[in-house]
Amino acid sequence: MRELCAAALDAATAAGAEYADARVVLKRDQLVATKNGRVERISDSESEGIGVRVLVGGAWGFACDRRLSLEGAREAALRACTFARAAAGRHSRRLAPLEPRTGTHRTPIERDPFDVPISDKIDLCLRADEALAGADVLVRQTMVRAQREHKLLLTSEGTEVEQELIESGGGIDCAAARDGVFQTRSYPSAHVGSSCQSGWEYVEGLDLVSEGPRVAEQAAALVRADECPTALTTVVLDGDQVALQVHESVGHPIELDRVYGTEASYAGTSFLKPDDLGSLRYGSELMNITADPTTRGGLGSFGFDDEGVPAAPVPVVEAGLLTGFLTSRETAARIGAGTGGSMRADGWNRMPLVRMSNLHLEPGEGDLDDLLADVDEGVYMETNRSWSIDDKRLNFQFGTQIAWEIKGGRLGRMLRDATYTGITPEFWGGLDAVAGADSWRLYGLTNCGKGQPGQSAHVSHGAAPARFLNVQVGVRR
Amino acid sequence: MNAREVARAALEAADGEAEAVAQVESSGLARFAGSEVHQPTLIENAVVTLRVVNDGRTGVATTNRLDADGLAELARRAAEAAESAPPDDTFPGLAPPGDPAEVDGYDEETAGLGPDEQARRAAAAIEASGDFPVYGFFTSAVSDLAIASSTGLSVDQRMTDASALVVAADDAGSGYAEQTAWRAGAIDPAAVTREATEKAERTKDAREIEPGVYRAVLEPYAFAELLQYFSYDSLGALGLLEERSYFTGRLGQKVFDEKISIADDALDPHGLPKAFDFEGTPKQRVELVEQGVARAVVWDRTTAAQAKNSARSTGHAPPAESRDWGPLPYALSVAPGDAPSVEDLAQLVGDGLYITRLHYLGVVHPREGVVTGMTRDGTFRIRDGKIAEPLVNLRFTVAVPEFLQEVYGLTSQSALVNSQNFYGERYPYGVMVPAVASARFAITGLGSKPGI
Repeated sequence: MRELCAAALDAATAAGAEYADARVVLKRDQLVATKNGRVERISDSESEGIGVRVLVGGAWGFACDRRLSLEGAREAALRACTFARAAAGRHSRRLAPLEPRTGTHRTPIERDPFDVPISDKIDLCLRADEALAGADVLVRQTMVRAQREHKLLLTSEGTEVEQELIESGGGIDCAAARDGVFQTRSYPSAHVGSSCQSGWEYVEGLDLVSEGPRVAEQAAALVRADECPTALTTVVLDGDQVALQVHESVGHPIELDRVYGTEASYAGTSFLKPDDLGSLRYGSELMNITADPTTRGGLGSFGFDDEGVPAAPVPVVEAGLLTGFLTSRETAARIGAGTGGSMRADGWNRMPLVRMSNLHLEPGEGDLDDLLADVDEGVYMETNRSWSIDDKRLNFQFGTQIAWEIKGGRLGRMLRDATYTGITPEFWGGLDAVAGADSWRLYGLTNCGKGQPGQSAHVSHGAAPARFLNVQVGVRR
Repeated sequence: MNAREVARAALEAADGEAEAVAQVESSGLARFAGSEVHQPTLIENAVVTLRVVNDGRTGVATTNRLDADGLAELARRAAEAAESAPPDDTFPGLAPPGDPAEVDGYDEETAGLGPDEQARRAAAAIEASGDFPVYGFFTSAVSDLAIASSTGLSVDQRMTDASALVVAADDAGSGYAEQTAWRAGAIDPAAVTREATEKAERTKDAREIEPGVYRAVLEPYAFAELLQYFSYDSLGALGLLEERSYFTGRLGQKVFDEKISIADDALDPHGLPKAFDFEGTPKQRVELVEQGVARAVVWDRTTAAQAKNSARSTGHAPPAESRDWGPLPYALSVAPGDAPSVEDLAQLVGDGLYITRLHYLGVVHPREGVVTGMTRDGTFRIRDGKIAEPLVNLRFTVAVPEFLQEVYGLTSQSALVNSQNFYGERYPYGVMVPAVASARFAITGLGSKPGI
């Protein structure tokens, strides 16, 4: 791997690149899924190749090749230089200075998920599938997954870092229907479960089989539940929905490439401006958000990002005040602060982009019961179902799988089709309680999209249940 | 190696009943922002997925290592997966050899575009904007798809595609346009920019409106995306079998305005033609809605077997990474109407909204076809039958069946709207739609002004 990267860098610099980096990536994904008592999917995918990024005359170029050969490496480098030379624009790009780094990093694990026999994974899924059986349940689904990514990065500045990142994950879902009402329920999260950078011990800890009956009972109850009413009220969100809220309304707006407009043609921009740093009130004083790629188990954890910048926690919102952005070396140079540290690429055949790593809402005090106890009337919502937010990340509308009314500090009747909507800084300004560290956990998402061509990133959010005042719930068409 | 050679080599590496799906991609995408190229990406890749069947047990493995060792390892992993699986008595077997139609969709000139030419066409989009900052891309690709199996099935298709997309945006306004075709020569990047900048100029000083239900004209960009999201749950067989489709219990019933006819037609030479699906089954045109009556959904072999009735595959098996969705319509096509222009649709609406493009859609209630999202890059008021002042971006929460139940008209011209966001392996597809005027489009919130 090292020889290939070095050959690519030599070819790029000989072709006129003032900067170049080369990444060899070997990736393997495995998925086992069942549906209604039968194996739906067993897939085992591997992908390998080299990606070469260059700066020529101040312009970026990127090319890649699946062949892990000297010929493939050199050709990718030369094609990247050709593309950079042909690129339109004024080209005044520069990178924040970075001392060359060498190092290695590996996800700490107890049991390699690829050492677990597929038959064991099928057995676990089928047992969890059976546990989901229940009245009105039409569809039962389970899945477990594993991923290993081994990558080596060399840069023309002398950085050389090698990393092996291992993920494990799983989840169960069921759908119930009755009298034209269709409802779903999931554990531990919707949208392909939840994952961690971890060994198989994470999946075992999820206890998918034991959770099955509760999930099925709630799905069946939801098709009989009342619809969430329309109201301006107090909302308590479970950690899963808080994680989604952090992701969409904080994580993406603080990506500095979006702030500078480079995602305008697809994912969108940001309501934040560069000079908002240190002055913009993002939320209440209880709002403390940290980007931390060193979090053990986080899907966004690494030793070095894909520019070779060492992992380090960055506070981005402190006591409600915006204090940090997620940056690359290029955007850090442009804003004149930091050295980057948030660049990741989706495999060998995509260019690194500014991505969330692990973005946490720091815990407060108490637990869910404490948050509910202070609410005379409100709604408690659990597990994300739908999400939509505008291109500047201001106007959002999210829905959850299940909700309960809160009356006199206690949960009341179950509600279905719960949605809430708001404007980002106003919503976070209404944050009036976050549960404590004992209720705080990591939620891992594997479907964060960005870039053209599209890239899917894996990110985690640490979150605990949180309470928000004056929220519009029950959006009607 | 081309895709046919890759598929055959993978099949030979397997022992016994098996199917190989090979995809070979050579693509370039010159992405620009603030009128500068910032993410230029050239991709060369070849991927093969092997499905091994062993007494009704199936296992799937994928690789891009195409040497003998890589393919032997691929076969070993697929066989290991199959051996681990219990037999599946609903497995319909691998597809038999078929006779796919001859289709267009490959253009030698487009296949030959290199990085210099791709960058030049991106530059043409940028230069046409004058001083107005533009954000977007030009891309072109040649994608080779081949399927071979132990049943004797062997099909392959070489496809080209090209797109130019432009968001013209400054602090005060933004506009959007795109063109997609399988012939790059049919794409005019400068014209795309002119359409986007002209739209952007008209969005300055955007005003707010009260949320409520409005009449609305949707340009093809907006209509295509709304229909695409509706199709995920409602127009595929899996959604029907799992009762999350709006068509559940409604096939044969009038569900939309009689002006609405929707087909899935991958054979249309004006779209992005496909000859077969990812099981190798020949593509069929499927009439999904005829004059407002729900007629059908699309099927693959798996769902047809699960239906336990007379259902047969219509040639809509998705790529492996999308299998969880079941068969999907990858070539939606709405029959045009007779309105000469969008201005004529505005005349039919009289008082309402004019919407260019939607953003970040989410399915709120699949069974009811309720979708939420934002308008973006060109939202206007319609007053007295004319497209009038610009509006801020609007949040909508729309039941697609309600939107299509009272349709004032559709334009006589359709546009092909790109639907791929270039995740994973390149597989060009899009939606062919006219602009539409409807009596019901529910606005449920206000967003920010257009602009960067």
